[in-house]
Amino acid sequence: MADEQNPPAAPPPSGPARTWPPVADRALLGKPIRRIDGPDKSQGKAKYTYDIVRPGMLYGRLLSSPHPYAVVKSIDVTPALKVPGVKAAIALKDPAGPTAKIWYQGEEVAAVAATTEEAAEDAVRAIKVEYEILPALATVEQSMSANAPVNFPKGNVSAERLTLRPDKADVEAALKASAHIVEGTYSTQVQTHTSLETHGGICEWNGEKLTAWVSTQAVHATRDGLSRALQMQQSDVHVITDYMGGGFGSKLGPDVQVVIAAKLAKEAGAPVKLMLTRKEEHLITGNRPSAYAKVKAGVDAQGKLTAFDAETWGTGGAGQGAGFNIPYPVYAFGVLRQRHKDVFINAGPQRAMRAPGHPQACFITEVVVDELADRLRMDPLELRMRNLPPAGPDGQDLPTQQWRKYFPMAADKIGWSRRHATADTGSGPIKRGMGCAANRWAGGGSNRTRAACEILPDGGVVMRIGTQDIGTGTRTLVAMITAETMGLPLTAVKAAIGDSEYPWAPGSGGSTTVGSISPTVRIAAENARDALFAKVAPSLRVEPAALVAKDGRVQVKDNPAKGMTWKEACRLLGVQPISADGAWQQGLSSSGTSGVQFADVEVDIETGITRVKRVVCVQDCGMIVDRITAESQVYGGIIMGIGFALFEHRILDRNTAKMVNPNMEFYLLPGMSDIPEIDITLIDQPERGPVGLGEPPTISTAAAIANAIANATGARVRSLPLTPAAVLAALHEERSGGTR
Amino acid sequence: MKAFAYVNAANEKEAIAALGPERGRMLPLAGGMDLLALMKDYVAQPERLVNVKNLDRTVAKTPDGGLRIGAAVTLAALAQHADVRRLYPALAEAAAEVGTPQIRNVGTLGGNLNQRPRCWYFRNEEFPCLKKGGARCFAVDGENQFHAIFGDGPCHIVHPSSLAVPAIALGARFRIVGPAGEREVTAADYYVMPDRNLYGETVLAPNELLTHVILPAPGTAKSATYEVRFKQSHDWPLAMASVALVMNGQTITSARVVMGAVAPVPWRAEGAEAALAGKRISEATATAAADAAVKGAKPMTQNGYKVQIAHTAVKRAILKAGGIAVV
Ligand SMILES: Cc1cc2nc3c(=O)[nH]c(=O)nc-3n(C[C@H](O)[C@H](O)[C@H](O)COP(=O)(O)OP(=O)(O)OC[C@H]3O[C@@H](n4cnc5c(N)ncnc54)[C@H](O)[C@@H]3O)c2cc1C
Ligand code: SF4
Repeated sequence: MADEQNPPAAPPPSGPARTWPPVADRALLGKPIRRIDGPDKSQGKAKYTYDIVRPGMLYGRLLSSPHPYAVVKSIDVTPALKVPGVKAAIALKDPAGPTAKIWYQGEEVAAVAATTEEAAEDAVRAIKVEYEILPALATVEQSMSANAPVNFPKGNVSAERLTLRPDKADVEAALKASAHIVEGTYSTQVQTHTSLETHGGICEWNGEKLTAWVSTQAVHATRDGLSRALQMQQSDVHVITDYMGGGFGSKLGPDVQVVIAAKLAKEAGAPVKLMLTRKEEHLITGNRPSAYAKVKAGVDAQGKLTAFDAETWGTGGAGQGAGFNIPYPVYAFGVLRQRHKDVFINAGPQRAMRAPGHPQACFITEVVVDELADRLRMDPLELRMRNLPPAGPDGQDLPTQQWRKYFPMAADKIGWSRRHATADTGSGPIKRGMGCAANRWAGGGSNRTRAACEILPDGGVVMRIGTQDIGTGTRTLVAMITAETMGLPLTAVKAAIGDSEYPWAPGSGGSTTVGSISPTVRIAAENARDALFAKVAPSLRVEPAALVAKDGRVQVKDNPAKGMTWKEACRLLGVQPISADGAWQQGLSSSGTSGVQFADVEVDIETGITRVKRVVCVQDCGMIVDRITAESQVYGGIIMGIGFALFEHRILDRNTAKMVNPNMEFYLLPGMSDIPEIDITLIDQPERGPVGLGEPPTISTAAAIANAIANATGARVRSLPLTPAAVLAALHEERSGGTR
Repeated sequence: MKAFAYVNAANEKEAIAALGPERGRMLPLAGGMDLLALMKDYVAQPERLVNVKNLDRTVAKTPDGGLRIGAAVTLAALAQHADVRRLYPALAEAAAEVGTPQIRNVGTLGGNLNQRPRCWYFRNEEFPCLKKGGARCFAVDGENQFHAIFGDGPCHIVHPSSLAVPAIALGARFRIVGPAGEREVTAADYYVMPDRNLYGETVLAPNELLTHVILPAPGTAKSATYEVRFKQSHDWPLAMASVALVMNGQTITSARVVMGAVAPVPWRAEGAEAALAGKRISEATATAAADAAVKGAKPMTQNGYKVQIAHTAVKRAILKAGGIAVV
């Protein structure tokens, strides 16, 4: 899911050059179209994995380790089997083998399946497990301290990685030559994905064949993962995801719980549904790793950024991958250096989470840039504008780097000219301020994507593609592109997705879905439509190339009266539908997006509480397919960004490494009344084809809010979340000597 | 949750008969907003639940000009009740801010006043803390950012009820019934510190029920509640204060100042009350009272910021009662 996830496209399969219809001819593309499954979702008719009930289905439940660091000495599942209604109970740890060790709280130790959820819960509680409890590491400070126990096989701290590599001398010389230097330690917290639908699935065996309804953002990867874990043929595994309630990067495979459900189902001889509890969801399904950076950065007297030197670390819990790249690659610093270490603690391992690494890197970098502007007494927007990457040889910015255009647009919308220099000097405890930050993301698409289109003799159209709708509106997009290509209304086509038996499409990660499926669906639809034209052309005595499909008709391009309705055309097929495949080709989609966000906040300096009043966002995403679903991605991203900025925080008890807030009560998420006015300007770039938008809008929100708080109060908070405690502490420090 | 038996009591008498003297085994169930969550988390594992939603839920005028409120009234009904809003703004305001509309529609006055602490160690069965019969308080050297800034332990919860705070400020009395009949205690005496009752938070015996809240006529008292909330909904106050200021013209003759979310019981600030007596309501008086209110606060390792927040709550509650615009 990193930017690099998608390999460069292989040479395109040969075939006619493909294009999107001219903007003026588009009936659906680029228009605000409501989700086709919106009514079903809002009326509860859309069945999510959580809702599905199979005949004779049992309920699975995990026994999760309460201890963050321990060795399982023995497991006895027999008491569980005595609980009425229990049909299967299995141990998942082998006390005698290498799996005996527990690395984090919530690790699965055993599992049961029973006729009711209550019986399953009673049964896991009946299982007897003996643990040898070991002292756990709960914080990066503990893990890094010299006298910490070494809890991890390769040590508590990974080897240092030099991600950017000028000579030490270069960096130090550049810093020395700078007119101003900012030096500080910055940090961001661990955030959990908190998908509304928890992870899980239902597994049902039919002989040696397995059908699994899974809450996943990757039906094919889930099929492959299940077949590997269960040592089955891929063709014997069928994964279905009609609707899913959020994943944000944490649902890219079958995971332990679905493999366990399959094992329980086999053992019990009945379908088993195993959905994680909210607590397990927080503990074991991944998170955004924390980030820490000791930064030294400089600027010259003219406002040119000179050097950025960072020592960074962070924790992805018991797993690797806490990396992030700073400075965030928007502004051109002269010389750069980053040295990074992953720190391990006894907590659930990280997973890709909506723009992995970016919100952390953006926060740290954009706060440093603001502080440098303060040193210069320069408008931070001006400093940013002066340090954007140079335009290309043609004097134009790259289409993927449009900040020079977007910053002024957003500044205008938020009323930046009214912004006071640092610290609101107005009377009263409520201070107002503004801040900004930029973002970038790659997106792109997978050249391996395939789709299959059928045109049926009665005029029906089915587009099959093994993608899934993670909530972004993918189903609607598939239908829109198909309908546009066939000249049909949206309701005339069926978008068949969320099934591993449909042609291969990638997991919905890295904002690559739209870039993968849009070209492929377009091509499959064109191929099917062209096959229909070939059938119809003789009866109209024209060449197939002379035909167009428009307004529900197949007609001659230059003579629209000559033609027939779509249904009449399809009737010519007799009994045999048209089936046509589509393979992804280059040219119908792009990669690379840029955007900016501005925040307008109020801070109560007597309570430390921040209220975000307004967020202004200017963002591009290539060609906009559906304006409504595109905007809703931006709303969601910004709301999640507000959560990251102010509220969300996985808190581990420092003495036991157990999470104290594995719920939605003290793991705070923005509610309706915490959501400000959000002002979105989406820039359409029709010539580029679509580019994914799921991740970029969540990147800059926290940085913009942090900068706005400093602008309001004059006090600098260098860590997330921006809680009342953190803001009050910064205010206190500011009064007694300065935070800047 | 653990399986349990259910008794649908038609009235006080039946409810009392269905309860028992042993703590935790038989529990009254009102709206269930608190109790069901505790049961799902296996922190409460009662054998029997006794429905008390059929208890009195009326708001009746008393002969002396006060109100007598049945414990089964919902928070939403309480917040909207015209007499409550007119006579006891501090109470109506607190009821209106609890949780979310769903919680207020279902949660009751009796359940709110008797709800259990939200300490995240208490609510998590994996932490066998003092309050649950264990050996230590995990908050002391743990994650105590939402814990008490007053009191000497050994347990450092903050009392979760935001209605208990105005109840004390307004001089409420609670009517209690039990197997031996009925009694009344003041709201202030109802809540007890952990050194007196570690396993519960009140003087109520397991087989007693709180049935009514009786509020004296407000007279010339001006009252208000001010809560400091980070999230605006579905969250708890970081600190709050309720005040009742008895006025003689423009002068405060006597005051009650009570802080919430700062101690194991609603915390009466007698210093602040003394600072207000004989003064007019102003920013300066309110600040002086707030200074006195937080004097003697003993924050834990992570919650020093709450002292400032409690200070702000007291100051703003006083100004609000005086009709002076606070932010
Ligand atoms: C997210 C969230 C936010 C919240 N925010 C707030 C807040 O800001 N302020 C606040 O005050 N509350 C808040 N609450 C708590 C909520 O107000 C209470 O849970 C609710 O009022 C309890 O009322 P109930 O009728 O549902 O009680 P129940 O859950 O039915 O009972 C609660 C307890 O009281 C006992 N009980 C019930 N009735 C009686 C009686 N008549 N006599 C003796 N004992 C009795 C029960 O046995 C149980 O132990 C919040 C809750 C949530 C989940
Ligand atoms: S504060 Fe009280 S309830 Fe919380 S851990 Fe300590 S003893 Fe337990």
